[in-house]
Amino acid sequence: MMGATLSRWTMSFFAAALLSLIMAEVLMILGVGYPTEGIADAGSLIVVHVTAIGWLSLLMCGALLQFLPVLVARTLYSDRLSLPALVALVTGLFALVLGFMQFGGIMQTQAPWFALAAVLLIAGFALILWNLALTLKEADEVPLPVWFVIGGLIAAVFTVGLGAVFATTLGGGQVGWMAVLTGAGVPVHAIAGLGGWLTFTAMGVSYRLLAMFMLAPDLSRPTTRLALILGSAALAIAVVGGIAVILADGNLTLALLAALVIGVAALVLYGFDIVFLYRKRRRPVIELNSRTAGIALASLAATVVLMLVLVAFGQLGNQIAAVVFLAAFGWLTGLGLSQLFKIVAFMTWLETYGPIMGRMPTPRVQDLVVEERARKWFWTYFGGTWTATLALLAGQALLFRVMVLVMLIGTLGLVAQFLRTRRLLDIDAAKRLPEGTRKPQLLISNAT
Amino acid sequence: MTITYVDLDVRPILIAGGEPFGEIMAAVEGLPPGHGLRLLASFKPVPLFAVMAKRGFDHAEREIGDGDWEVLFSPAGAAAAPAPEPVAADGSNWPAPVGEAMDLRDLDPPEPMQKVMQAIEAADPGDVVSALLCRKPPILIPELETLGHEWHGGFEDGGESYRIFIRKRAG
Repeated sequence: MMGATLSRWTMSFFAAALLSLIMAEVLMILGVGYPTEGIADAGSLIVVHVTAIGWLSLLMCGALLQFLPVLVARTLYSDRLSLPALVALVTGLFALVLGFMQFGGIMQTQAPWFALAAVLLIAGFALILWNLALTLKEADEVPLPVWFVIGGLIAAVFTVGLGAVFATTLGGGQVGWMAVLTGAGVPVHAIAGLGGWLTFTAMGVSYRLLAMFMLAPDLSRPTTRLALILGSAALAIAVVGGIAVILADGNLTLALLAALVIGVAALVLYGFDIVFLYRKRRRPVIELNSRTAGIALASLAATVVLMLVLVAFGQLGNQIAAVVFLAAFGWLTGLGLSQLFKIVAFMTWLETYGPIMGRMPTPRVQDLVVEERARKWFWTYFGGTWTATLALLAGQALLFRVMVLVMLIGTLGLVAQFLRTRRLLDIDAAKRLPEGTRKPQLLISNAT
Repeated sequence: MTITYVDLDVRPILIAGGEPFGEIMAAVEGLPPGHGLRLLASFKPVPLFAVMAKRGFDHAEREIGDGDWEVLFSPAGAAAAPAPEPVAADGSNWPAPVGEAMDLRDLDPPEPMQKVMQAIEAADPGDVVSALLCRKPPILIPELETLGHEWHGGFEDGGESYRIFIRKRAG
């Protein structure tokens, strides 16, 4: 029972993702990468990719393996493809980091790390996409939020494709058009990854998850549809248009500005929808995860405002790191940690108590977490993130590192809560495992 | 009709002190439609009977010496075709729902699902239970289909509520 609705390896993806987040934070505390080093230096590239691939992408992949089937009321095409995908992504990231170390002269080897990274990361993402695509193929209807996810997955293809082109060039490939793309395509790669794959997918997932946990109706409003159309158009202009412009030696800035205007309009509509969801909720007092998701959404709004102000003052180029940092850690990481707090509890509850559901009393999902304890870690995390963003804007490298330490403390506090939830430690021992239930394993969800 | 059985011997796992449940479930998952499972175990696996019954398997067990047991799990009503692609039932000829319609719209997930399962558990085979939910339930529906209960439902209040009717499987 319940086996069909639980993705076996999602917890393993989450664990690898959280380890990557901790690693990225430790690197920043140690002064690796910007602002201690240059923004294009090997250290910065390592921190960016440990965050984007190791933390955010693994988190998103694990979440999609669990939730995409639920969103379209189907079972995941294959649970078996998930583990090879995870292994390929983790080893691919490892090879990529070694490649950057080679590139930065930190490590002297002749091994083709970049080529290996490209092969492994393409394989890993391809396995995930294949699995999700075949799951979607069986769907009777594709709800609106899932179209955002599909848009995000297409953006992931472009992100990985461009990354592979860069890796091939840096690894010594000598094809002309590849070198041209590598020279000018970094903004397009970053927009496809952060704006397309991660943000667009997160928007789609958040429509459903927020509605579900706040007891709000599922949205299918004209604004949602328009946000989808405008967002897709913005990504198409920035990514497909951007690549074409670079190869045709045109004006990339113009294409990106056009995409920015349309993209901001899409985000404003998304903002209206989310405010509408919070207002239409049936639940008068919302849970901690929905409140902290609100803080993450506010961070997204702050990212947009910051970006527009910087564009207006012609400073975006100089301050791009602060914008990317706030998007990655305020918005995406904030939303990710918020949802993990609920998802880990929910999945653990289904796995443990699903088999006896309806036949005998069980603890509630809320009993698996202690909001009072988690709240301070969320505040620590968000407080650190915002102050760290301000430190970046002010060029205060030391303050930035101290604030990332604060973020790390918040992160570790939350990880401890996730572990407690998974081990059912916050449930009264006498009620923890009624007859007919089994203690869940830490990293694997078993069909029971 | 004759049933073809797939053999699974979990005695080595049990002797080594292991937990064969996952192995057994994997074997059950892998059974072709209409096939049964012949399980060999070093004790009479009573808890498994209920689990398998939920999955639509009857059991017949016998001791085969040295305290070992052979259990034949056969698809219940072996003539029945495997469940078709999940589709909502029509429900036009169903009896009226038993008890009050439950309004579960203000409960946190997964409590609505829990209440529905509780009501089904309490109902007699063939009875219909109904509930008002705040969305089409994404996890409950596949679960009902796994357990062999029929359901149909639809949106109300301009899409803000979803009423579901579930008919408990006979037998």
